[in-house]
Amino acid sequence: MNWMIFSPEICCLVTALVFLFLAMAPTDARRDYIVAVALTGLAVCISLAGLYAAGELFHGTYRVDLFSQVFKSLLLMGFFLVVFISSGLSGIEHRYHPEYYMLLSICTLAMMMLVSAVHILTLYVALELSSYSLYILVFLRKGRDQGVASGMKFFLIGASASATMLLGLALLYGATNAAYFRVMVEVVPGVIHQPEVILGLALALSGFLFKMAVFPFHFWAPDVYEGAAHQVAAYISTASKVAVIAVLLRLVALSGGESTHLVHFLAVLAILSMTVGNLTAIAQKDLKRLLAFSSIAHAGYVLVGILCISPEGNVSAMFYAVTVLLLKFTCFLVVIQTAFDGENIDIDRLAGLHRRSPVMALALMTALFGLAGIPPTIGFTGKLLIFVAAMEKGYFALVLIAMFNVVISLYYYLLVVRAAYLLDPPEGAGPLPAMPGAKILAGTLVAAIVVLGIYPTPLIELIRVAAMALG
Amino acid sequence: MHTELAEFPFLSAILTSCLVGLLVIMVLPGHRTREIKWVSAGFSGVTLILSVYLFAAYDQDLGGFQFVERMAWIPRLGISYYNGADGFSLPMLLLTGIVFFTGVLTMWELEHRVKEFFALVFLLVTGVFGMFMALDLFFIFVWFDVSLFPMYLLIAVWGSTRKEYAAMKLTLYLLAGSALILPAIVYLVVQAGMGTFDLVALSAEGTFGPGVQKFAFLLLYIGFGILAGVWPFHTWSPVGHVAAPTAVSMIHAGVLMKIGAFGVLRVGMFLCPEGWQFWAPLMALLATVGIVYGAFVGLSQTDLKYCIGYSSVSHMGIVGLGLATMTVDGINGAVFQMFAHGVMTALFFSSVGYIYDRTHTKIIAELGGLGRVMPVAATYFIIAALTGIGVPCLASFWAELLVFISSFKVYPVYGILAVSGLVVSALFMLRVVQRTCYGPKNEKFAHLMDVSFTLGIPRMILVSVIVLFGLFPSLMLDVIRTATIPFLHRLP
Repeated sequence: MNWMIFSPEICCLVTALVFLFLAMAPTDARRDYIVAVALTGLAVCISLAGLYAAGELFHGTYRVDLFSQVFKSLLLMGFFLVVFISSGLSGIEHRYHPEYYMLLSICTLAMMMLVSAVHILTLYVALELSSYSLYILVFLRKGRDQGVASGMKFFLIGASASATMLLGLALLYGATNAAYFRVMVEVVPGVIHQPEVILGLALALSGFLFKMAVFPFHFWAPDVYEGAAHQVAAYISTASKVAVIAVLLRLVALSGGESTHLVHFLAVLAILSMTVGNLTAIAQKDLKRLLAFSSIAHAGYVLVGILCISPEGNVSAMFYAVTVLLLKFTCFLVVIQTAFDGENIDIDRLAGLHRRSPVMALALMTALFGLAGIPPTIGFTGKLLIFVAAMEKGYFALVLIAMFNVVISLYYYLLVVRAAYLLDPPEGAGPLPAMPGAKILAGTLVAAIVVLGIYPTPLIELIRVAAMALG
Repeated sequence: MHTELAEFPFLSAILTSCLVGLLVIMVLPGHRTREIKWVSAGFSGVTLILSVYLFAAYDQDLGGFQFVERMAWIPRLGISYYNGADGFSLPMLLLTGIVFFTGVLTMWELEHRVKEFFALVFLLVTGVFGMFMALDLFFIFVWFDVSLFPMYLLIAVWGSTRKEYAAMKLTLYLLAGSALILPAIVYLVVQAGMGTFDLVALSAEGTFGPGVQKFAFLLLYIGFGILAGVWPFHTWSPVGHVAAPTAVSMIHAGVLMKIGAFGVLRVGMFLCPEGWQFWAPLMALLATVGIVYGAFVGLSQTDLKYCIGYSSVSHMGIVGLGLATMTVDGINGAVFQMFAHGVMTALFFSSVGYIYDRTHTKIIAELGGLGRVMPVAATYFIIAALTGIGVPCLASFWAELLVFISSFKVYPVYGILAVSGLVVSALFMLRVVQRTCYGPKNEKFAHLMDVSFTLGIPRMILVSVIVLFGLFPSLMLDVIRTATIPFLHRLP
């Protein structure tokens, strides 16, 4: 067995162990932060170095290929970025910081296993491992009540989603007698018209649709975003979404595009998800809740790419994973900078951001226009790829509905831009206290959003090759 | 995909000077307002010089797309960076250069958040220039949207009169337009099955069946038409014009609305000529309603900027009517009208902006006797009004004449209605002039300064352009004709 190809996961595991021991040492938030940044930075480097690694582990239940490695690199980058903005981690008490880093590492490790899992059991174990670490991370929020309430909600809905998914996987296994994906992908298309197979696939998918916060599995999202510490919410909305997109691609590919029922099921969910997400977001006052509803809407857009079940559709969904990662993270960076005390922020609290921190205001505006899919940002390119893929399948109505949703979403994004650029800062509000490196990070993110929006060719080429590994 | 570059990439040079200007403004510290203004004037001047040069250097005997620049951009999707200028785009590029430069000069007295203002204007104009020169559907859409979204902040921060409402309404309306355009573009690209976004390749005869063309043209017509102020999708336009600051009104009414009409022409009519022929009667009907409606509503306005806003709806109707005639003269007239109206509205808003900055009112009843207080400012205003009416020797006269002659041939009823609408619009223009510039002197404004020579420079440029093309319309028509005739020849 070639353990080298397992090195990014090992690196994450080591990080988790290091923090397990640090949790026993005297509290020192500064030390924890530096160690975490160093270790996660190392993990990113290792995963990038092993981008083209390939092979199978654990009796073929675990596949390492370009598809999984691209997603792992994305996950680790998301992880690194979230850790990087944890220097002023004020939403969680200092004594819990080592646990926070440990759980984040375990969660990332689980998600990396998720994207490599090609067996029903590895898939399930990885999913549960990542879910449980996330539940606890939400609980860690300072000022108990909020964290506990939303963590409880997250846990209860998540547990029932897992149960449903398990039922679906059992049905699939019963019908196909296969637990390896590579066997299932051959058997399932032949029996897809049997009701228990299609039901099993739909139920198995719903476990991940829950994590993706697709309507009607989305009810946890706004409360969890609001209740969790900002950094945890950032992690949920970026890294965890990336992993779920990977798994959804794998699972949907099982049907081989043979089932119109499945496509219709996903199409209806996609339409409802974007419409409900966007319309509800309009009414939000809390910025994190607004971002949660926008995540629900974006889950709908991604589903459009996924339900194409074509190479173009897979590429578009993978590209969109990068898009969501960059754009959502930039929004959360601004949230964390503006709410330095770790409290929740209303949109009005952004007032005068353009004077208090021009860089952050610019980053926020770019990210929001990106989320709204306006060129020349990566958000537009992502949507264009999805629309081209859907149009090639002849889903014109779906594209039109998605486009009108984009217009609706623009309204509430503009309300946020308005607060940041139009309102005057409150009396006596000086410049924002800047985290070290935050301005450089914001500048880099803006540059990445625009450059990848205008010139996405290298990224698209990489993703296209990776998507071919999907099968 | 082969790379093709003109000897000197003039078109990219225009975009580059906009972008470099933007970057320089971004790095200058915000309090150095003088430097920012000079930089803006400098770089916008460069774009003006380049666009004048292109207009003059275009080889009319050769025709077709010239100054072509092309290189692969996203090969996987068949997207290329592909620019070129022909008889339709050159007048628009020239117009953009003129309005951009004079717009920057008009805002010389701006003191509030100067850096951001000019940065956003540069971003907007980059989009406008790009849209007029792009020959790849991807870039056409990208530039189209780039030119729209800075409008929100430009109006909401620096505007007046219900500015936030106007900014939001305008942005959502225009983006709703692009929500129709993008699916239509993707639909056409996929239907063609050629794996390319290249507009020239896609516009080859027989690429699309009649059904596809009819469907896509309707989407494109409404999508771009919203921006062109086509009735009944025009309601954002007067509100937006009124709320926007002077330079933004100038660029907006002068150039941005033309992007809509140009999009209908370049994307809709080029790709879907049969769809265009099918829907032309509808276009003519909406255009005529727009002309008459704009004139009558303008008649009842009390706010100076609303008057101009509605006259814009009316004048853009003339463009739509010209395009709907499907004749050489009609299209020539429509493109000429886009140019003439652009320069004219820029002058209009520029002079109203001056008056508003001094008197702090746009209500017609509160003004009056301005001709005695500030004769020069009033003169500019009157010249703009006369151009709007279509007085001979001024640029719009020829444009309107061509459109009306051809519309009489194709749609006699609409032609008569449109001309009578124009009479009403003449009436309201003259009434506005009479009430603001003549009559008893308003003592409240007696102390106000007239336009100084330096502040008058942008207005003088605009007036001389109007007179130049009014006296020598063939300067413009000869260029436009090089594109119109081959285009109509291709039609089945």
